[in-house]
Formats: sequence, C-alpha cells, structure tokens
Amino acid sequence: MDFGFSKDQDLIRKSAREFIEKECPKEKVRELKQDKKGFDTKIWKKMANLGFMGLVIAEEYHGTEGDFLDLMIFMEEIGRNIFPCPFFITVCQCAPAIEEFGTAAQKKNILPKIAEKGEIWSYAVNEDKADYEASDIQLSAVAKGDGYVLNGTKLFVPYANSAKKILVVGRTTQSDNPEEGITLFIVDANSDGVEIEEIPTAAKDMKCEVRFNNVTVSRDDVLGEIDKGWAIVDYVLQYGAVLKSAEMSGGTQAALDIANKYAKERFQFGKPIGSFQSLQHRLVKMLTEVDGLKNLVYEAAWNIDEGTPNKMLNSMVKVKANNVYHRVCFDAVYIHGAIGWTEEMDISLYLLRAKANENDCGGTNFHRERIAKELESYEPDFLAMK
Amino acid sequence: MDFKYDEKAEALRKQIREFVKENLPQDKERGMFSEEHDDDEWAFSMNMSKKLSEIGWLTMSWPKAYGGMDASVWERCILGEEAGYWGIPGLGMGVSGTAWVGPSMMLFGTEEQKKKYLPLIASGDPDGVWCTGYSEPDAGSDMASLQTRAERVGDEYIINGQKVWTSAAHRSRWCWMACRTDPDAKRKHDGLSVIIVDMKSEGVTIRPIPNIIGAHYFNEIFFKDVRVPAENLVGKENNGWNQLMQALAFERGIALGASSRGMRLLDELVQYTKETGDFKRSEIRQKLADLAVDIRALRILALEAAWKASKGEMVIYEPSRDKAYNDEVMEKMGIIGTEIIGAYAQVDPMCVSKKWKRILGMIEGNYWGAAGMAIAAGTTDTMRNIIAQFGLGLPRGY
Repeated sequence: MDFGFSKDQDLIRKSAREFIEKECPKEKVRELKQDKKGFDTKIWKKMANLGFMGLVIAEEYHGTEGDFLDLMIFMEEIGRNIFPCPFFITVCQCAPAIEEFGTAAQKKNILPKIAEKGEIWSYAVNEDKADYEASDIQLSAVAKGDGYVLNGTKLFVPYANSAKKILVVGRTTQSDNPEEGITLFIVDANSDGVEIEEIPTAAKDMKCEVRFNNVTVSRDDVLGEIDKGWAIVDYVLQYGAVLKSAEMSGGTQAALDIANKYAKERFQFGKPIGSFQSLQHRLVKMLTEVDGLKNLVYEAAWNIDEGTPNKMLNSMVKVKANNVYHRVCFDAVYIHGAIGWTEEMDISLYLLRAKANENDCGGTNFHRERIAKELESYEPDFLAMK
Repeated sequence: MDFKYDEKAEALRKQIREFVKENLPQDKERGMFSEEHDDDEWAFSMNMSKKLSEIGWLTMSWPKAYGGMDASVWERCILGEEAGYWGIPGLGMGVSGTAWVGPSMMLFGTEEQKKKYLPLIASGDPDGVWCTGYSEPDAGSDMASLQTRAERVGDEYIINGQKVWTSAAHRSRWCWMACRTDPDAKRKHDGLSVIIVDMKSEGVTIRPIPNIIGAHYFNEIFFKDVRVPAENLVGKENNGWNQLMQALAFERGIALGASSRGMRLLDELVQYTKETGDFKRSEIRQKLADLAVDIRALRILALEAAWKASKGEMVIYEPSRDKAYNDEVMEKMGIIGTEIIGAYAQVDPMCVSKKWKRILGMIEGNYWGAAGMAIAAGTTDTMRNIIAQFGLGLPRGY
C-alpha cells in the first residue's frame, strides 16, 4: 500500500500547475467567460506543442504513452485553477474511446491529430432528459446506402462549437433492452445538417445544443460495432467519471485553501474569524471531505491504471465528488460572508463550476443507482462464511 | 502508488478467516459493550484473547522481545479490518492494553516496565488487562485540568482523587493513570504525569456506572492514599501531557476497524433488504448506496493515515479527522439501519432472546453505540478543535 506519487508524477503535477497558473490566471479565467469559444486557442496550441494532448496516447500514434495517473494529475490541476479548455472532452473522453474501440485506420488517422495538433473533439451523449441512462439515448440513426442518417438533438455537448469532430451516440435499433441498439458515430462538426447553439450556462463553461437534421455518416465513421455501442458509452463514462472527479477534487482543494486563507485574514470582534469554533468546525468538515474525495479519486484512478477498474468505486468517486464540491463551495462562500456571493471573489468561480461538473459523466442519483446495482449483485463475505 | 495490500498481508487475511470460522460462532449476537458487562461474555472474550495470543496476533505489531511478531503496519491493518468485520472480541485486552498502553509504553517506558508489563498484555491473561484513568468529574474535554494528585513521598507516589467513565475498570488489573504531580506548574498541562496503578492496591474503590442501556461498562474509581512505587512513573515526571497526546492518537486511530465494521453492517442491511424485498425501493437503494460511499471514504482515510504512520511521519490531525468522521458515519448508519429494521430497533439491546432481534442485534447496537462513541476518546467537536489547529493552522478557538 502506497499513497505516494513518484518523482515523475510530481514533475507532471509541477509542470501542469506552473503552466496553468502562468497561462491562465484567474483574470484570464474571468475574461474567457465572455469569450465566444470559451477558451484561448493560443494556450491550447501551446499545450499541444508541449505534448499535453498526447499524455496517454500510444507512441505509435505520436503520444507519450503516459499512465492514467498522469492524466488524473493533469485533471486535478485543471480543476484546481478551473482552467477552461476542451482538454477533458478531447483527451479524456474522445481519444480513449478511439484508442480502445477504433479500427486501425481510425486510430492512425485520428490520434496523431489529437496528440500533435490538438485537434478538438467533442462527445455528444445527453439528450432531452439530460441523463446517462441507456434508455435516454434516442437520437435516430438509420442505415441508408453505404452509411447512416442521423436525426435528433444532443444537449450539453462541451465545446461543440469549436470541435472539428463530434463523437455522437445514436440509436440504431429499438430494443427491449435499452443497452442494445446503440451505436457511436464520428461526425464532422461542419457536416451539412449539423446545427450548433450555445446553451447559456451559469459557469459559462461552453456547453452546446447540437441538432442533427438528416446528417449522413459513412460506414467508415462508425466507432465500434453496430448496436453494441453501450460498451463504449460505459467505458467512456467510467473513465470520465474518475477524471472528472479528479478535476472536481482539484477544485475542492483550491476552494478549501481559499476559504481557510480568508478565515485567517478577515477580522471581526477584533479577531480573525477563523478563531471562532463554529467556523473552524465548518472548515474541518470541509477538510475531511476534501481528504476523503482526493484519496478515493487516487484509489479509483490507480485501479484503472492497473487494468483492474472497479465499477462500483468509479461511481462512488463521482457521488463523492458531486457532494463534496457542492458542500465545500457552499461553505466557502458562507465563510466569506456577503462578498463570497459576488462575481468579484474567486470562490464564486468554483461554486458555479461545481454545478456545471455535477452532471458531467453522471449525476448523483444516477451513480448511486449504479452502486446499488453492484451491491445487489455481489455476495457479501459473511454469507460465504455461513 | 499502490492501493492493494501486499501478498503477506492478504495471506494473513485468509488465516484470520479460517480462525474466525473455527472459533467464532457466526450466529452469535453482537450488541455493543456486552463483553465487560456479562461474566460469561467476558470469559468468552478472555478466552479469545488467549487464543489470539497463542497465534501471536494479539500484539502482532509489537517487537518479538515484548511478545509481538514484528508484523508490518499493513498486517496490523488487515487484522483491524477483519476484527471489525467479524466482530472478533478480545483483541483489546479490555479497552486499553493492546491499543495504546503497550505502544505508549514502548515509546516512553523504562526497560524494566517494558519487560514487566508488555509480555503480560501479550500473554492474553487476565493480569494483562488494563483500564485508562483520564476523565474526572471536572475534567472531560478539558483533560489537562484533571486534579487527581500523585504526590511523591520517598520511593512512592501517594495518589488521591477520583476518575470517572473508566471503561472496564472492574475487569482490569492495571490502570494507566494521568495524575497531577506538580500542582504549582504555571501551565496546567505542565504538571501532569502518567503512572501505572495496580488495581489491587489498598485504597482503590470501584463503583459501577450503568450505561445508557443498563450495561456495566463504565466505572468511577476512587483513590484514597493509594501508594504506588515511584518506578511506576511512565516517562518523565510532569511530561505527561505530551505522552498522553501520543497515546490519544493511538486511541483515536480506530477508523479502519470502524470502516470494516461499517462494511459488515452495510452487507447485512443489503442482504436483509434483498430478502424483505425493500432493496427494490428506490429510496432504500439510494440510501444504502450513499452509505457505501461514506464507508469507502472512511476506509481510504484510515489507510492514508496508516500509510503516513508507516513512513514514520507524525500523524497529528489524521486520527482526529478519522475519529470525527467515523462518529458522523456511525450515526448516519444508525439512522438508516434502524429505519430499515423498523419497530424492531426499539427492542432492548440487553435482551438476550433472538426472538426479538433482527440482524443479530447489530443495527440497534450500532445506533445506541453511536451516541456514546461520539463522546468516547474525545468528543467529535474536540476532534474538530484539534484538526482546526493542526490540520488547518487556525488559532485556538477556546
């Protein structure tokens, strides 16, 4: 058992943190909230040049073939500074899906473009119900000639307005089992019939509605097997839930630090407010939650890294991240008093982001249900003893 | 990074399960605090201590010289997990000996003390059972204000005063006592010492305090001119506070056993609701799933603290963090669990008949226990004061 990071991992954290703090300080984060793209293409290019996009992509496809833990560290640092960019959706969602399920030709065509040039990809899964259940996937995909025709609407698609390609989860067959009949398509974002509209979100973290009107996709642009796409969706979901939780964990750590610092600097009744017990105990609960989340993320990520992903743990991590990010930000705002509830203070950026991240890769009830399913199917140790 | 136990530790887990299968009837009722109350239960528990001692597990992490087997931190963790899950009694030798008296004595005791007392604890014999005398009527959370006086007269200390809430005192041969040796010290923390008292000494009177469910677990102890040889001083005179803080960190480092105990309760609740059909109800599933997350978080925090300790780092705020968190989780588990077993939750936990029990009495036992555990070994809020100071660097708020 070892909770420590290696020297290489420490180095990745250091370089990620320094890069993000230098390139995207909080003023920049605020500025980008007003930006049409929601991120800075110059910073994005620098990231590509530094090799960040290829962090876990195989060398064969011009990546550096790092570990999942490297990616987790990077996401933690992104979250710490709420650095806005399409890194998660491109590098943590689309690229792993292509690498794991793509054909040799797809991998060869796509992955080097992401790894070297930072080609932006997005992933379109949510629909009207804005949830991750298989039954919610209803975007119609009908075979026609050599390809498929897509009709339907996807919601909360990150950075779709900047994406070159969108990985679209569609329904090819209606079936009693909603997990059957799902297929993934690689769609050029500039295709005829694709309409993209920004959804106004509180965090201004660039999520879009993407409408598909008779969009044709060739057979070569199907990812994985026809009708068997749920396995990919589930893979991307689990992988993403842990990485999104790492991002959220980084955010909670920063929010706690901000609140703790403020509590020492702000004086009332002639004393720092951090000397009052009621406020201390609030901060202590935050610390406990932050420590718990952080270490659960590490455990889940390590298991993925080792090739022993734990489905229940992955869902636990996202439940914890959702609860903790909310709790810590609410308390951090409270500790600031009225000024915490203003645009001016950094803490407000975190609270807004917490709600934005909550439903990415699955909301709380969704993941609790997944945990319940796992609990239901597993045989407890005490029964084996009887 | 590595989040699995090494092979040696996992092999130990298998051995422990074999041991449990042979020695611990699985239909045995598992309330809380019954060991100290009931003579038969106590005998069962001491018998288990002896068996554990014979294998070497009772004090496995201690050096061989003192009756241990030099086990690693991780083997100790496995034992803690398994003991929590299976409810193995007797591992504490009362509630003090193996957990903090031994480890503290190894840090601060004289060679003679170590040779005399450690093998006694490790032996699993009744003469190795300890209680802990910290709390007094006017010294609860503010432990440093304790007044029980130990006055040095020649080669002896003469002790006068009163201790309270002393768990298992009536089963103990020795008391690990915090006394005031310098009443004139400028800071009250600076006048304290740790002294070993033979409970058979003249002048020691034990009076039971029935706990909330009527069990005899707590005691008051009165000391009237109790004469103790000076060699029973542990560590330095008037350095007791520092030593006690270390002992308390040992005492609060209980979260791994607690998390696996929680895991057992969760497993039982899932199984019970699957059998009653309640697990299909969304609100039940969701609550149990939520509880599973808390228990998992408690486990990983406990392991993190163990890892830091294993590297020789001083774990200062972590045991308090884990203790406070366990208090919260235990209560939540108490609420969810008793809601699930419904009206059966009100059955007297001292009732022996299985007729009225669901899940071997574990659920209501946990519920009643949670109210007490939030106070034991330092209240939840006292833990939070410690964490604020040492984990967050905040000024003392009291």
